[in-house]
Amino acid sequence: MCRRHTHDSNTFEDGKNMKQLFRRLALVVISCSFITTVQATTPEEDLAVFQNFFKKRFPNVETEDYINGTYAIDPIGRENWEAIEEFPPYEPFIDEGQTMWETPFANGKTYKDCFPDGPALAGKYPRWDKEKGMVMTLPLALNNCRKANGEKPLKYKKGSINSLLSYLSYQSRGQITNVEIPSDDPRALQAYEDGKRFYYSRRGQLNFSCSHCHLQNAGMVLRTEILSPALGHTTHFPVYRSKWGTVGTLHRRFTGCNKQVRAKPFKAHSEEYRNLEYFLTYMSNGLPLNGPGARK
Amino acid sequence: MHKKLALLFSLLAGILCAGITTTSLADEASAAKVQKLIDAADAARKEAASVGGEWRDTGKMIKKAKALLSKGDYVAAAKLANDAAKQGHLGYEQAMSQKTLKMPSYLHYE
Repeated sequence: MCRRHTHDSNTFEDGKNMKQLFRRLALVVISCSFITTVQATTPEEDLAVFQNFFKKRFPNVETEDYINGTYAIDPIGRENWEAIEEFPPYEPFIDEGQTMWETPFANGKTYKDCFPDGPALAGKYPRWDKEKGMVMTLPLALNNCRKANGEKPLKYKKGSINSLLSYLSYQSRGQITNVEIPSDDPRALQAYEDGKRFYYSRRGQLNFSCSHCHLQNAGMVLRTEILSPALGHTTHFPVYRSKWGTVGTLHRRFTGCNKQVRAKPFKAHSEEYRNLEYFLTYMSNGLPLNGPGARK
Repeated sequence: MHKKLALLFSLLAGILCAGITTTSLADEASAAKVQKLIDAADAARKEAASVGGEWRDTGKMIKKAKALLSKGDYVAAAKLANDAAKQGHLGYEQAMSQKTLKMPSYLHYE
């Protein structure tokens, strides 16, 4: 009886140990799967994986053609777009932007005093501003220049900033996207990581992330539109959108996308959108700039 | 006869007055209840916004609920405020669930 009891007790202990073992194993498995999803990756690894995804997804599309957005994967849309590009709707904005660039501020200085290398600036942005400890975007730098010269800053989504950006983008055509994440300032990597997290985070009532539409479902049809691939998204801004009837900034587009998934958008050039631009532009590293663009 | 009529009128007037007082008291109570719901919805919206998880229409719904309340449409205002509060809570939960980066499985890291 005693032995039996001992045996039962052992069985009980064994069972208890087994349970503990299973629990530990389960924890290890869960931890491992968690690590798989949140493993630390370098920006270089992210870039390679991101661009390879599109190579596999659309094997017949040349990497450089992604600068043309959805027209890289939609032959019918491309025909229409090429016809539009014969008389580009953004042309008057380029001319207006050139006038803005050359017209002196009230103090007699011009944008060239802030940007001595001239108007072909787009390839230098977004960049990490170590002094300010933040991602510096081109529109933000332009407004900093205006403020430093006693001028009122321009609005970030609509209006004349688009003309100035159209001119600068046009002058920068052919420059290669080359966003750098300096290794001597860990805040730069953090900004990149924050932008990356924004990109892959679900938001809004529709519970979508940016990646759901422009990575996972790129090329699929949403109502009447073909979802554009994320690769090359940043090369052609500002963009003349037929829907807008004018040229608009990248951050205006971010706002529109967030609204479409029924999330409250952030302010243009807020930290969230600047970091998002930093990550997204980095993902297009190696692609030439071709702004301003024309889209539906 | 006149006395009876006068008595009847006084009774009727009394009943009407009581009715009006009761109705306005009920209105005040309803308005206060709906206002509480609107305040709760706004608190939920702010909580979601504090973690970057506010949804597009929550603020608009609260604004509309306030307008309905001022018009005395308590039922519609309460419904809208409750819906807005739900959105606020869900927006907060959603943002918190996304705090840790989860890379999609279709991106193949080696």
